[in-house]
Amino acid sequence: MKSLDHQSLEEQTRLVSRYVAGDLSRSERAEFEAWLIASPALAAEVEMERRLRRGIASAARRGWLKRGAFQATTSTRRWRFAMAASLVLALTTLGLSVVLPHRDTGQSAASTAANHREPPQRIESRTVRLAQVRGVANLPDLVFTQVDAPAKLVLEPDVVVLTCEDGVMLLECAGGTAPYTPQYPEYELDLVKRLDSSLVWRSERQAPVARNQLSFEVRDPGDLEAGNYDLIVRGHSADHEEVVARYWLRINAQ
Amino acid sequence: MSNVPVDEIERIVAAALTGDAQAESRMLIALRPGVLAVLKFGAFSRWIDPEDLSQETLHIVVERVRARTIDDPRKVFAFAAATARNLALNAARKMLRQQTVVDSELIDELAHNLEMEQGDLSDSDDRHLAQAVADLIDELPTERDRQVIVRFYLDGTDKQQLCRDLGLSPKHFDRVLMRARSRLRTIIERRAPHLALFPRITSILLPLALSFTFWVRHFGPW
Repeated sequence: MKSLDHQSLEEQTRLVSRYVAGDLSRSERAEFEAWLIASPALAAEVEMERRLRRGIASAARRGWLKRGAFQATTSTRRWRFAMAASLVLALTTLGLSVVLPHRDTGQSAASTAANHREPPQRIESRTVRLAQVRGVANLPDLVFTQVDAPAKLVLEPDVVVLTCEDGVMLLECAGGTAPYTPQYPEYELDLVKRLDSSLVWRSERQAPVARNQLSFEVRDPGDLEAGNYDLIVRGHSADHEEVVARYWLRINAQ
Repeated sequence: MSNVPVDEIERIVAAALTGDAQAESRMLIALRPGVLAVLKFGAFSRWIDPEDLSQETLHIVVERVRARTIDDPRKVFAFAAATARNLALNAARKMLRQQTVVDSELIDELAHNLEMEQGDLSDSDDRHLAQAVADLIDELPTERDRQVIVRFYLDGTDKQQLCRDLGLSPKHFDRVLMRARSRLRTIIERRAPHLALFPRITSILLPLALSFTFWVRHFGPW
């Protein structure tokens, strides 16, 4: 470990990103961790680096960073403009409905009755994280009814195993680095009905974001028939495929 | 989290090495965040309980300091880091050995641990964090800085490639990342302070409790 001066601390701070990514050699990491013990400020930098990585992956999953973060400004402004315009429109409509006389109360009543018949509004989106190891209880991992199903179900299974560069699964790779290569370059999700083992839906293949995060979107799951389904996650490489996880989804009738 | 500067921590540890009991207590408080960081950020973090192992690490460090087999504060830091790493490795090995046992209670425990690891952030916290990062990127002063962050973290483009593409020096690249982390900390501390730092209260109380235990053991009951 070098002398504990400010310059050396700055040097170590430059290594934060490589440390979090597991890219330091064994000796670099040993020195870095000795600095971590000596410097809470460096520990805070590491914590922020991890938060930054996770936050970016999460923002990307939510579609807030699509096609480059530079769109965030524009989209935020558009969103604010849309909110302001909606508010003005709503106030204008409200004002007009108070000021103008009702011409056709019968039609209005019919329209109101029709509104009452409309089904309750669905939740826009629901994100579910599926753990790598399932509980032993004989219960579904995910249950909802056709009525309360969200319009979009986002499934985030924690199934990506990280390996060393040569594909070997070890706790520590050569050079003392942590494993950082996903076991499979691509993953896909199948939704299979248990009753007749029919494939109901298959996702597009996707590469893990931030090394080990997957996100599959199932549209309108409430439209599926009531019953039990398997959510099967497969890993794909050029010459091999494997079922890496299986989850149980149950959809109840209303 | 302790904000003791690095040279101050070195002085505290140097005093503890001379047998100063008060300095020993202060050393425990000063070292704990770093030990916890090594355990939390290490390769084995998902298989261990950092809080538990940080106490064990500090225990071993104090014993070694008292034995006067280390004479340099910097060696104490390196020793603490190596001890934390070894304890984490052993704990991870133990956990992985257990994984092969077909036993419902163990599987339950393992599943619970993995859920705990996953539940590091709740959905709401995850959303806060994503929003904070989106705002951070929005606030970056130049398009080039935004590209650095997104391409480096999201696309996984390596540093050399990005420096070449964007005409940046490696130093400038590092500065962009450091500024981004610093700005993220400010945003998070404003909106969701619990995401920013180690729990402040435990970082003070736990070492105090630990040093109290050592005192009682050392000087007997009163």
